[in-house]
Amino acid sequence: MLYHNLYITILVILAVMLFPCLIRAVRGPRIADRLVSVNMMGTMVMVMIAILALMLDEGYLVDICLIYAMISFLSVVVLSKVYIGIYEEKRHKAEHPEDETEGGKSDGSF
Amino acid sequence: MGVFEWLRLIAGCLFLLIGLVIFFTEIFGVFHFRYVLNRMHATAMGDTLGISSCMIGLMIFSGWNYTTLKLLLIVVFLWLASPVSSHVLARLEVATNENLGAHCTVYPELKTLEQELACAKPEEADLQQNGQADHAFSTGGETK
Repeated sequence: MLYHNLYITILVILAVMLFPCLIRAVRGPRIADRLVSVNMMGTMVMVMIAILALMLDEGYLVDICLIYAMISFLSVVVLSKVYIGIYEEKRHKAEHPEDETEGGKSDGSF
Repeated sequence: MGVFEWLRLIAGCLFLLIGLVIFFTEIFGVFHFRYVLNRMHATAMGDTLGISSCMIGLMIFSGWNYTTLKLLLIVVFLWLASPVSSHVLARLEVATNENLGAHCTVYPELKTLEQELACAKPEEADLQQNGQADHAFSTGGETK
């Protein structure tokens, strides 16, 4: 019972801490700000899942936590690459407005 | 509960508390700094030290079984993944920000920086008198 109350307390504190991250994700002036705060939220949710695994005494929830870490890492990397690609394409289109077919080729760079 | 159980509870609580304090510091840093490349500095701390101390606390609670090993695996994975994602995010910021020079000093090539450092060495006294903009950086290179 003591451990249960302890886990509940820590879960509530972490859940309250998620709201400032959400505020930063909404208010962030740049895209990198939003990605950084989403990464931060992912870290806190990982701790929450690990606490749940011990609280419910279900070992497989730790595997879900590991997969969550991998997906969070992958999403940050892929979104960064996609936004760099979008920016390069937009700049290329602004510099050379006449050729439309060139955009397909530049996809291979990332 | 025996003495060992109490010790385990206290040690686990201590590590979890350290982790929560570090997460709080991370949030404070994200709201305190004014630019993304500074904010990343604060979040990297939570990604490595915060989650690892939380996981160590949970490992102490969990005891000696496979769950402990998996928790350790998560920490090791994040130690490897967090620098990579920070690097990619910094590249995104540098590639897409058009007036990056307003926030920090930008050296387009490493050679320019080396030349500037080499020039700054004999003229350090002059630089201090003139009070130039890059004075702080060049003295930082001097003191090693």
